[in-house]
Amino acid sequence: MSARSGPPSARSASSRADEVARVGAAVSEVVERLFGTVTAVRSAALRSSAWDDPRGGRPVLDDSVRDLLREPGQLAVGLGLVVAPQPGRGLPLRLEWWQVDPDGGRLRTLEPDLKPQSLGYYDYTATEWFDVPRRTGRRHVVGPYVDVHGTGRYLLTLTEPVVVGGEFVGVAGADVSVRRFETHLLEELGRLPAPFLLVNGEDRVVLSTAPRWLVGSLLPPGAGPAGSGAAVPGVPWRLHLVDDVSLLRP
Amino acid sequence: MQLLSGDARRAVFAPLDDGALRSEAVVRRVGSAIALGLMADGEQLPTETDLATMLNVSTVTLREALAELRKLGLVETRRGRGGGSFVRSRDDVLAELADTRLVELGTTDLRELGDVHGAVAAAAARLAASRASRTEIARLRDIVDRLARAESVTDQRRAEGRYFIELAACAQSVRLTMQEMDLHLELGQLPWPPEHVPELLDVIVAGHRAVVDAIEERDPARARALTEEHIETRTLWSIELRLLRVGEPPARQEVS
Repeated sequence: MSARSGPPSARSASSRADEVARVGAAVSEVVERLFGTVTAVRSAALRSSAWDDPRGGRPVLDDSVRDLLREPGQLAVGLGLVVAPQPGRGLPLRLEWWQVDPDGGRLRTLEPDLKPQSLGYYDYTATEWFDVPRRTGRRHVVGPYVDVHGTGRYLLTLTEPVVVGGEFVGVAGADVSVRRFETHLLEELGRLPAPFLLVNGEDRVVLSTAPRWLVGSLLPPGAGPAGSGAAVPGVPWRLHLVDDVSLLRP
Repeated sequence: MQLLSGDARRAVFAPLDDGALRSEAVVRRVGSAIALGLMADGEQLPTETDLATMLNVSTVTLREALAELRKLGLVETRRGRGGGSFVRSRDDVLAELADTRLVELGTTDLRELGDVHGAVAAAAARLAASRASRTEIARLRDIVDRLARAESVTDQRRAEGRYFIELAACAQSVRLTMQEMDLHLELGQLPWPPEHVPELLDVIVAGHRAVVDAIEERDPARARALTEEHIETRTLWSIELRLLRVGEPPARQEVS
């Protein structure tokens, strides 16, 4: 897994493999911990009696769900349920979502603009985090992306479909800010690991310890790191070790 | 009214900068929020106290602004139970308001606004050419198609606003996205050129399509240059519209 340009790294093949395994395990651990939160939200949604009378407009989640955001070690900055609208049955777009205020750490309800005629319309049914679990019936992780018209933050969003009586009724999900994801993982890894890139299914950099590769950028076709990288269990992400090239030593 | 947490709301209710004529600034801000659909017809405004706090103006200033908005017909106040202040969307009044604003501004103000918008949008276009995913490019194209089909001035304004904001989101930049949102709150206070010359909508649509093509072909330099060029043209349109008003009194006209 050496990079295409430059000489092979001085590290031995076995220590590189160890490093990939170490970073990959840390990434998986964080992702599974976040999905644990998503599953807790989904379970709370499934327990709710509000589905018996969907038109009643009663909240599905009780307020205790938002306390998940206060749990020690919680990485999510937002979580909740996003309901599948059913215009035919008079069920509008609806979210039950809480987030940690970036400034004061207070919990707030997210209330985006759901008016289709508005410049700020949050058309969530068209988003990947909603659409993919609806289509596939499986959990999904998306990002990094700018949650334009929603939270307005730079996020990774993890979602699972919520199915009641065989019918898709929405997604349970959690947001983690790209900053928190990065800070936490780098802390977990302790010493600075060998330069690596974590890329998502669309070849976008999720995390990088090589300054030349910016988080959020797409790997240029044909000019990315050589090889297919190592799969990260549980997510459609891949890990590439790249060569050390310091830009501070001209 | 709910206190929404989206980026658009943040821009609408951002505290106004210090300066004179603050009640007029409130009127303009509310006017452009209505023009962009951020405040819908029939929507209830927050209480006077909440609104004054959000905009960082005194309640006296806010009351002056509300009185003016009522006089213009953009806000209706009902008393009693279920009462409060409600938004009324009126295209004729919004056009009048935009015209008044244009006459208040000098050509250099319009150039400055265009310069900043050019800098932000061209940077976004350049970055989007290397960072936008296939899905995002398809969404940009879809927004431009909707702009081409939009019939009313308000629908055209909103579709174009969404184009620029989405472009900034495609750059993976929260800051550029917020800048675009703020800029559109200002641009929404000015006349929409196709309202005066309908054929200009074709020029706008063609301009945006060319940029989306460049993004799809992963050509950052071209995406940037085309965006800069397009916004320069737009600035010249605004300046020409402004100059056509020379000799007319700058006072705000009463609207029945």
